[in-house]
Amino acid sequence: MTNWLLGAFAFVGNRTVSGLQGMGRAWGLFLGATASIRNVDVWLPHLLPQMARVGVASVPIALFIATFTGIVMSLQASYTLTGAIPVYFVGTLVGKTMILELGPVLTALTLAGRVGANISAELGTMRVTEQVDALETLAYDPLAYLVVPRVFAAVFMFPIVVLLAIGIGIASGWFTALQLLDMSSPEFVKGLRLFFEPWDVWFAVIKSVSFGAVVTGVGCYFGLQTERGAEGVGRSATRTVVVASMLILCLDAFWATVLL
Amino acid sequence: MERRREALVGLVVMLGVAVGVVGTIWLQGGLRRDMRELRAASQNVGQLVAGAAVKFRGVSVGHVDAVNVAPDGEAVLVHLSVEPDLVLPADAAVLLAPESMFGDWQAEILSRADFELFSFLDYPEEGVLPAAALPDFSRLTATADQIARRLTTISERFEVAFTEETALNLKNAIDNIGAVSDGLSEIITQQAARFEDLSEGVNASAAELGAAARQARLSFERVDSIIANTQVEGMLGDAGVTMSNLRELTESMNASLGDLRSAAQRADTTFARLDELLAAVESGDGSLGRLLGDPTLAEGAAEAVQELRALLVDIQENPRRYLSFSIF
Repeated sequence: MTNWLLGAFAFVGNRTVSGLQGMGRAWGLFLGATASIRNVDVWLPHLLPQMARVGVASVPIALFIATFTGIVMSLQASYTLTGAIPVYFVGTLVGKTMILELGPVLTALTLAGRVGANISAELGTMRVTEQVDALETLAYDPLAYLVVPRVFAAVFMFPIVVLLAIGIGIASGWFTALQLLDMSSPEFVKGLRLFFEPWDVWFAVIKSVSFGAVVTGVGCYFGLQTERGAEGVGRSATRTVVVASMLILCLDAFWATVLL
Repeated sequence: MERRREALVGLVVMLGVAVGVVGTIWLQGGLRRDMRELRAASQNVGQLVAGAAVKFRGVSVGHVDAVNVAPDGEAVLVHLSVEPDLVLPADAAVLLAPESMFGDWQAEILSRADFELFSFLDYPEEGVLPAAALPDFSRLTATADQIARRLTTISERFEVAFTEETALNLKNAIDNIGAVSDGLSEIITQQAARFEDLSEGVNASAAELGAAARQARLSFERVDSIIANTQVEGMLGDAGVTMSNLRELTESMNASLGDLRSAAQRADTTFARLDELLAAVESGDGSLGRLLGDPTLAEGAAEAVQELRALLVDIQENPRRYLSFSIF
């Protein structure tokens, strides 16, 4: 009994210490990366390639998901809104949901898997193959070289990808409403415009920026913390996806509480 | 390779920004022209918010810019942007009402004369349109709830009042009503028959009236012909003479009446004097009065009559006492 209790307390204590250590290391990474922003000559040449990798290369998968999200939203809205509710509310539901929630969050979750895991695996491999150590040996700032361009690229490109996803999602929902739900374009547009506020777009952009920072920041963190060879790389990639996804959802709730 | 990558990134960025900017503008209703600004004042605005549609005769002509409480706190000022070439009615007012059942409100510009039942607020500032807000659905449902409660109370009372006996009475009443309606039906049938008779009588009367009218027309035609004849003038002349004779007779009668009036006055004077004389006699004044008022005279007269009778008897019995005849 005593041993069982001791083991339970030890488990909790170990997890607490590990958590605090992780938070400390993450805070250290954040401070170091912030300090590395001043090394513009180091990170700026890598910004465009990272923007292409993080943003442009992610557009197809983001648009694919948004397309089907819009279709499903339109069909489910028409299935839900029956009876006394006017059919043009399908447009309202598709527009509001895509702009405020599904566009940013689904895109971010998708990119957490694609971009976050990619960054984590890349940096983890560099870590276990001691390329990061080599950079430090060559007097390169590894944070300015590896972290800052990736985070900046994500911060710039995530909103772009999210805006494209929102547009495609609404368009696919519109197309579905016209082709499958016997709605007219004026009806759908009326619903789309009914409760639209420009602030909704800003809300999506702000969320996307934070999601981009989180996905790439978590990927960089777990990548740079990778140990024990290829197994560690895989574990880092997995952790990146899990933690980034959790943080995305937490941030989503946070922004909804703060901004709406 | 590097240039291609740059172009790709630039294209995606431009596409994303274009989608964001153009989409936002389009969803807001497109680029707005120079709009005409209006203000309206209402006691309250319900759930109207900035961005709500402004409609005129059912057509969207603008949007609500802002909704503010007036500085004096007595009203709510609604700032509207409408199309610049919109021609408003002379008595324009703004009705704030739900656009649908889902909380979206609109401001509708209308003619105040067409909606006199609404209590539009006349704000004491020039250029501010009067406005009124309809009650929202929550107030309507609250009122409906009140009505439902009252109906429940009424139905409960009705259940209390509606017993088996009441039902039996109602059944009897319905039976009575059936009997009454049968009687009424019979009466109506009879009345209809009488009405038919009456109609026939009326028709006959109308025919007689028609005949009388024709007769009257003939009479009038004869009168017209008589009037047209010259004999009438002679008759009218004779009538004039007769009238002048009557006038003279009337004058002579008036004169006679004057004489009669003076004779009557004299008779009145005579009767007055006679009244005075009779009054004096009744009061015992004068010889006649004393004569009438004194009983001794009558007694004396009676005694004299008796004595006269005795004398006559004595004369009859003894004529020689009183009469003497001598021839020489």
